[in-house]
Amino acid sequence: MNQTILRKAGFSLIAVVAWLLPQSLSATEAASMVFTDRIEPILRDQCFDCHGADKQKNQLRLDRRSDMLRGGDSGEPAVVPGHPGQSYLLRKIRTDKDSERMPPKGPGLDEDQIKLIADWIEAGAVTPESYGPDAEETSIDHWAFLAVPEDFPIPTDYTGSPIDFFIGRRLKEKGLDPSPEASATTLIRRAYMVLHGLPAPPEVIRSFVADQSEGKWERTVDSLLSHPAYGEKWASHWLDVARFGETHGFETNRERPHAWHYRDWVIEAINHDMPYDRFVKAQIAGDVIGEPVGTSFLVAGPNDIVKGQDPKLGPMQRMNELDDMINTTGTAFLGLTLGCARCHNHKFDPVSQKDYYAIQAVFAGVQHGDRMIESQDEDAGSIAALTDRLHALGKELDNWPSSGLRDPVSASWNEEKFNPTEARVLRFVIHETSGNAEPCIDEIEIYQDGENIALAHSGVSVTSSGDFEHPLHKLGHINDGRLGNSRSWIAATRGSGWVQFTFPETVSIDRIVWARDRQGQFSDRLPVEYEIMAGISGDSLVRIAGSHDRLPPGSDRSAFYARVIGKLDPDERGRATQILRQWEKTKLELRELTQPVKVYAGLFEQPGPTHRLYRGEPDAPREQVGPDTVQVLGRLGLTRDSPEQDRRLALARWIASDENPLTARVMVNRIWQFHFGRGLIDTPNDFGRNGVPPSHPQLLDWLACEFMNSGWSMKHVHRLILTSKTWKQSSLPTKAGMQADAGTVLLWRYPTRRLDAEGIRDSILSVAGTLNSDAGGPGFSAFEVELENVRHYHPRSDYGPEEWRRMIYMTKVRQEKDSVFGAFDCPDASQVIPKRSRSTTPIQALNLLNSRFVTQQASLYAARLQKECGDDLNAVIRRAWMLSFGRNPGQEESAMAVEFASEHGLDQLTRALLNANEFLFIP
Amino acid sequence: MNNPLSQRNFLRHTATGLGNIALLSLLAREGLLSPARAGADPAANPYTPRQTHFSPKARNVLVIFCSGACSHLDTFDYKPELIRLHGRPMPGAEGLRTFQGEQGDLTRSPWEFRPRGQTGKMISELLPNMAELADDLCFIHSLTSKTNTHGPGENFMSTGNILDGFPSMGAWVTWALGSASQELPAYVAIPDPRGTPQSSVNNWGSGFLPAAFQGTDFNSSNPLRNLDIPSGVSKSTDRATRSFLNRLNRLHLEKYPGDTDLAARISSYELAARMQLSVPDVTDLSTEPASILRMYGADDTRNPLKAAFARNCILARRLIEQGVRFVQLFNGAYQTGGEGVSNWDGHKVLKEQYSKHGPVLDQPAAALIRDMKSRGLLEDTVVLWCTEFGRMPTFQKGASGRDHNPDGFTAFLTGAGVRKGFSYGATDEFGYRAVEDVATVYDLHATVLHLLGLDHTRLTFYHNGFERRLTDVHGHLIRDVLV
Repeated sequence: MNQTILRKAGFSLIAVVAWLLPQSLSATEAASMVFTDRIEPILRDQCFDCHGADKQKNQLRLDRRSDMLRGGDSGEPAVVPGHPGQSYLLRKIRTDKDSERMPPKGPGLDEDQIKLIADWIEAGAVTPESYGPDAEETSIDHWAFLAVPEDFPIPTDYTGSPIDFFIGRRLKEKGLDPSPEASATTLIRRAYMVLHGLPAPPEVIRSFVADQSEGKWERTVDSLLSHPAYGEKWASHWLDVARFGETHGFETNRERPHAWHYRDWVIEAINHDMPYDRFVKAQIAGDVIGEPVGTSFLVAGPNDIVKGQDPKLGPMQRMNELDDMINTTGTAFLGLTLGCARCHNHKFDPVSQKDYYAIQAVFAGVQHGDRMIESQDEDAGSIAALTDRLHALGKELDNWPSSGLRDPVSASWNEEKFNPTEARVLRFVIHETSGNAEPCIDEIEIYQDGENIALAHSGVSVTSSGDFEHPLHKLGHINDGRLGNSRSWIAATRGSGWVQFTFPETVSIDRIVWARDRQGQFSDRLPVEYEIMAGISGDSLVRIAGSHDRLPPGSDRSAFYARVIGKLDPDERGRATQILRQWEKTKLELRELTQPVKVYAGLFEQPGPTHRLYRGEPDAPREQVGPDTVQVLGRLGLTRDSPEQDRRLALARWIASDENPLTARVMVNRIWQFHFGRGLIDTPNDFGRNGVPPSHPQLLDWLACEFMNSGWSMKHVHRLILTSKTWKQSSLPTKAGMQADAGTVLLWRYPTRRLDAEGIRDSILSVAGTLNSDAGGPGFSAFEVELENVRHYHPRSDYGPEEWRRMIYMTKVRQEKDSVFGAFDCPDASQVIPKRSRSTTPIQALNLLNSRFVTQQASLYAARLQKECGDDLNAVIRRAWMLSFGRNPGQEESAMAVEFASEHGLDQLTRALLNANEFLFIP
Repeated sequence: MNNPLSQRNFLRHTATGLGNIALLSLLAREGLLSPARAGADPAANPYTPRQTHFSPKARNVLVIFCSGACSHLDTFDYKPELIRLHGRPMPGAEGLRTFQGEQGDLTRSPWEFRPRGQTGKMISELLPNMAELADDLCFIHSLTSKTNTHGPGENFMSTGNILDGFPSMGAWVTWALGSASQELPAYVAIPDPRGTPQSSVNNWGSGFLPAAFQGTDFNSSNPLRNLDIPSGVSKSTDRATRSFLNRLNRLHLEKYPGDTDLAARISSYELAARMQLSVPDVTDLSTEPASILRMYGADDTRNPLKAAFARNCILARRLIEQGVRFVQLFNGAYQTGGEGVSNWDGHKVLKEQYSKHGPVLDQPAAALIRDMKSRGLLEDTVVLWCTEFGRMPTFQKGASGRDHNPDGFTAFLTGAGVRKGFSYGATDEFGYRAVEDVATVYDLHATVLHLLGLDHTRLTFYHNGFERRLTDVHGHLIRDVLV
């Protein structure tokens, strides 16, 4: 390659070298001598002290060719052979700015020296062999980037849980013993708190303690993992990682009313133990694999919807949106802080600035917004059954003067189904439009084998009868994959018009979907009479679908039948009316199941080119970068113009692969963290060099291995952990343990900790007997919302059963925290939170003691106790202790509680219990 | 308050015992172990005073934040050229588009500028009382922001990042320094009587720092939430309940000797009890003499808004007096009317709107600074007056107001360690762009931290991949503004 450049460099090279070289040398050797004689001495004097073998300030090394070409932290190549103007080295030695000039001390390089370097670069920047090749394999020796090993040094005669083996081995090294097993009451209470985020019901505790049978723990674990409360608890951990919120954040902080689907989707996925590799793929490319709601992950973060007119601001806002997607994907799935490489090469990990923009190219077509999502796979069975029933009933109705017509044209959704038809040309011809306006269509989707082949990037060409000129309405919008009025086509002519698709080859199609506005805002300009023609060429078109077999526009099928039935004789009319009723009911059910719903799952379009940005500045674009992943970790095999969907799917597959060294490790560490309060790695979102090294590396790897071998089953990992002796240890402190390891990093006991915000709120409702178990659907609000342009959220002052659902169903408002429980380190979804802080503040104390929410629940709790135990104060107190602490009161406690409650009342007793440490701590 | 047997002092002195155990740990968990924090005791109480990096000039901070982007051109940045070329297009700005769109002609301020004090500093008639302080103030005229949108701009000024979710300067400062008060929150945000500023609680959020360092927001009209004991519960019952709770917690703690988290929770209830006494105390302005109320304008019945803001100003002084480390006082709110109606966002009818806002801010804020000075509070408090960005020297096309301008605007400092009667940096002849000694918000933050004895490059907290700073990877100390 050097030679090629040399040849290109032509005369300027000769000019530099001719005077000092014997003719017998080859051009390369000659050029290399120039370097050794003239350039290297300058570098040695002026640069190598900071950018050489011993020291690489800002990660720049000038004594290796590959490093010269790669550059340092700035992300700019220091040397671009043949192009002095693009070489950062030259800029830094030439600049007038004292603060930027290199070398930083001394007078700098003189004119002659600078010229020598410039000429050398111009001539191809040839270096001797000792400087190495253009690119060197970057060695990745950091443990987390190496494959997960499959063999572990567990002695063959060891019969216990490998978890206990690894934990025990380190305890032994420190001279510590594991703690004995906790009591049955503690175990069951702990399991409920960790797995469900709720206190164990007294009945369950009693029967668990009484149960002496073999395998009772395993059965209990299974039953806890198959209860829906498990998904409700563990989804909240994931939603923190996904920075999921239901408002846009930033200054307007407007609502995202269709974002909750993602929360439900995560709960469902966890409850059904969706394999984690699928869980990952769904969140990056769920639209491809039949999990369309999953892509909400990409757009779950804040989004600045105030777009100013300033030309600098817009691109920066877009870069910030993409940065949020890149960074969250990196940290959530890979434990890699990719965002650090936005402005310069990553300081610690082998992520170059170019890698960052390669990943940006993967997401460059993702836009914030609601997407219409069709019914889910799991409903397919019911849909088919209802459809059959509807057909059957319809047939019966058609026995009377038949209609046989399809539903009238709809502004928001039209589906045409027909027998597979071979075509190269398809023309959508509009004969009549509502209001005799210029007709409008937002998108035409044409399906072959279930895939929309009409999208622009698939090579189809589109022509029309003429286009209405408007920035929102363009011919290109008809197949850009984006729905709604603002990405639609309008014909130039009133009433009629046509659009024609010409495919690059003959296709076989069987379904077309089209609409006026699939976001449901507009219903004017609706084509009401139309024909869809297809054929092998433009002059052999035949009608394959159209309005000819549809009911008249705006008409109602029921009304149509009713009119027909009304003319029947009374006997027949009665029977027909009954069938009509059933038909209407079935139709309604079917509509509910099949109607596409709006979900804040993002919109996708084919992106333009992506460039590396110098210092992350949108107005300083550098070379174009194609979609890919971190180079030293893998390749996606895409091209610069790969279709948008392919990009995300490729990245998703690469992440969710058994080969990826990070994915499984990162997730098992998260699961471990939420069991023990601390991960095996204490920086759960950073497995890179700047992260904290694992406390038990082999245990982490063993779990990762088990995870993958189980088919990425999260429940499998839970079972492994929950059935270990380590998990079942007592949490009581020992002198030796506290002395050697007060932070309980080595797990010589089970570490106690305070419940998180959700756990506290849900537990209060649970013991008060007021917990509303309604699952899923739109959330409840903790605020009265002031509907200004900029939303204002005022804490509610009164609560009823609607607000007594689990806190995961509380609409997640960014920037505003719940007025009572927000103070318990509940994040506001502005940032990715892999691990919540656990603080203790007087504000928390005030909130739990005095807030309307807690005092109301305390009264309801007291009423519950009274109702269940009558006036027997001793019974009340036993029950209260069982509910609040999962145990019977001690003698002293009992006596003081009786005394206190008789003097100050049950409301005050329950108020104190809801504030007690024992109520709030995982035992 | 000085009666040694007052209930508050009693609580203060008896709240040792378990309280001391709690001192070991209250909130000492995540992050307090940051190696970069000089002298930080990893197991320290968040409210315990902590060591600085070097000897500080100031111990407390008062920020007066004018929300909505207060125009530098109508207050403190005098531009004769703007007057001379009034009504003409700005040279070299053909086709310039700013936040709201096209620009009209250069427009002089509707308010006259006059020389003030010994220094002769030119300040407009909009703020006559503040103008009188000119000899004490240190202006920075060359500030620049990274954004021209209010929410991100306020975030940037308050947290050093345009995005949501980063710790505010007050959170960083209290995390670093703890508090001198054991009965008041270390960090208080005082929202405008009209409501919260545009980026709301994010201005005083704790971001990824522990929740203990979040600003507690209340003002003279809206008390701290959940401070009062529940209605229908007598004081003695409430005390009995807390004492019963305390016994329950102590019995439980016996099983977990040495558990600092549990002890910390016990202690937090004692702290809460002290706060219940001291917060109403500090917000009760009835003990302020009439002369003080008059000085601040808190007795102005003709301008209730000004009177309400004046009460917030008095509250700010009282908080600083009581040892609250960081007080953030807001002037201007969004929810009662953005775009200039109840904040400084004068896009359309600048003269009319600023004529209302000027008097609300002027006398109370000037009195606050003067009062603090006379009480000696400025000896160890630094005051920062700021806004999210500046405004254009032109009026918007077809309007009588100024659009957003992040390229040059003014803030001032006064108090401990700050040079008096000095102006640093300058904008161009029209006040459009900072051209001389250009300063960033990072520089301003670095300088405030420096006054507190903190090196902004060493005040770090690990979060998602690296050691975060208030100043990110930027910021240079503005030495010229220091004494």
